[in-house]
Amino acid sequence: MKKLYSNKLVIFSLVLPGIIVFLFAILAPICLSVYYGFTDYSGMGSYSFIGIENYRQLVHDDAFWTSLKNSLLLAIGFIGIQHPLALIVAAVLDKLGGKAEGFFRCVYFIPNVISVAVIAYLWKFIYNPDFGLLNNIIKVFGGKGDINWFSNETAIWAVLFVLIWHGFGWGMLIYYTGIKNIDPVLYEAAAIDGANQRQTFLKITLPLMKPVIQVNVTMAVISALKQMETVYLLTNGGPGNSTQFTANYLYQQAFKAFKYGYGNAIGVIFIMICLLATIFLNKVFEERDINPRRIKGAA
Amino acid sequence: MEFAGKKKNKITKPLLWFVLIAVAVIQIFPLVWLVDFSLASSTEMFTNGLLVIPEKIQWGNYAKAFVDGNFLLYLKNSILINGLAVLLVILVSIMAAFACRRMRWKLSGFVKTLLLMGMMIPIHATLLPNYKIYSQLGLTDTIWALLIPYVAFSLPQGLFLMTSFMESIPVELEEAAVMDGCGIYRIIFQIITPMLKSSIATVAIMTFLNNWNEFMMASTYLSSGKWKTLPFSVLEFTGEYSSNYAVQFAVMALTAAPAVIVYIILNKHITKGAAMGAVKG
Repeated sequence: MKKLYSNKLVIFSLVLPGIIVFLFAILAPICLSVYYGFTDYSGMGSYSFIGIENYRQLVHDDAFWTSLKNSLLLAIGFIGIQHPLALIVAAVLDKLGGKAEGFFRCVYFIPNVISVAVIAYLWKFIYNPDFGLLNNIIKVFGGKGDINWFSNETAIWAVLFVLIWHGFGWGMLIYYTGIKNIDPVLYEAAAIDGANQRQTFLKITLPLMKPVIQVNVTMAVISALKQMETVYLLTNGGPGNSTQFTANYLYQQAFKAFKYGYGNAIGVIFIMICLLATIFLNKVFEERDINPRRIKGAA
Repeated sequence: MEFAGKKKNKITKPLLWFVLIAVAVIQIFPLVWLVDFSLASSTEMFTNGLLVIPEKIQWGNYAKAFVDGNFLLYLKNSILINGLAVLLVILVSIMAAFACRRMRWKLSGFVKTLLLMGMMIPIHATLLPNYKIYSQLGLTDTIWALLIPYVAFSLPQGLFLMTSFMESIPVELEEAAVMDGCGIYRIIFQIITPMLKSSIATVAIMTFLNNWNEFMMASTYLSSGKWKTLPFSVLEFTGEYSSNYAVQFAVMALTAAPAVIVYIILNKHITKGAAMGAVKG
């Protein structure tokens, strides 16, 4: 057994495909990004090395800072609005039982299986000033309903709303699964002790959901940082750079502004921010875990 | 839980129902609106009400969307590329998980961590360099330009799920197989794999959900229509029919339909699988 299980050749053959994929699709592009990040390459023709000039420029680039600020806003929106709502709805849903429970669970998740392309264009129409759903709703309630949702001041909120709306089902589902895993005996004991629903939720559900909440919060921050598709189709960062997100910005810089080198420099910083955010959040949430290797979940 | 609800919740119960229904309406009404408008004519859209009742149901919108949106070709591409990606992710992650979890070698922990690192790397940061790499190698506009990144970015999650499920399989089974003269490959594919059924389903669902709706890489690495996937029906159409709104609504509804229908049919399994994947991963 021992001999069979430490056969180097067999081990090599088993991990080789995974390693090749990792090297070719993840590590190689990162190295290439680091390389081009030091150049003034436009995307075609010749280029020269300019040292850390791109990074120096990045520090003073307002659009870049706006994009980080927007990610922060989105993360706050996820954690402050989407998650509390998702957690409460999950707790209510858990008590419902029967056909209705399955029905609502199914309905809440449907937006998540629809392509971002459809979602983005659909919301473009919903925000449409001429025949959009949102202005029509305002008209039904007696308002004027002629708001231009993608104006300078409102665009970012319009974008945030779509993202919070679209991701709601995921958050709900994860909380719901977590709540289902709580031992019903605890609820029975609480009921015998005369606890009401609010007390039960605050004293039993919430504390026991702590690890799930931590995983969800980590994922919310990371996905807020990584946001691209919806913004790309909805506003493409505009008007101005008011709805810019980092991934969208680096893409624009490389392929629209023909600053491929600069785009890659942003990419390098972007990867570092994502790595640091992940590590930081895991460290913050780690303190009560016994095994420090728990990083990648296992909640 | 029932008796917690019975005691004094004459008022809270309707309130809870109200919350559930309100959230459901917010989540689903935009889609109802989408389907409604897709069956109307463009001129009927300028209404002051929320929904229109079309004078004549315009099935023609869907016919246009179906033909001019290249629906069948793009659907076929989506199914083929996603199917292959799922198969590859499962195969590669089972092999790597077995090697890292069960076999004895010094670097097993290091290699596992390395492969899991992919989870933290933002996909979109690789768009620029990968475009360069693929065009140098002549891979742009081929199926590989999608297959490679799709597998690469779903692999870490697959590997993570497979290793954590593999821990629950007793080693004794393998010991017995070794006694009977089984080789490693047979152990993996004939003994371990069948026992991983539920985790394979989870990985398949997660990989599918991740990649089915992806279009950023597709629109960067592809130029012709040959391998374009379903989201392109929408992306290309809006330019072509920019003034015919009703047909645009039809193409959006049509593009969303396959995933929604499959989801409603398999809803229980998908919810379970996705939840397992999300909570574990």
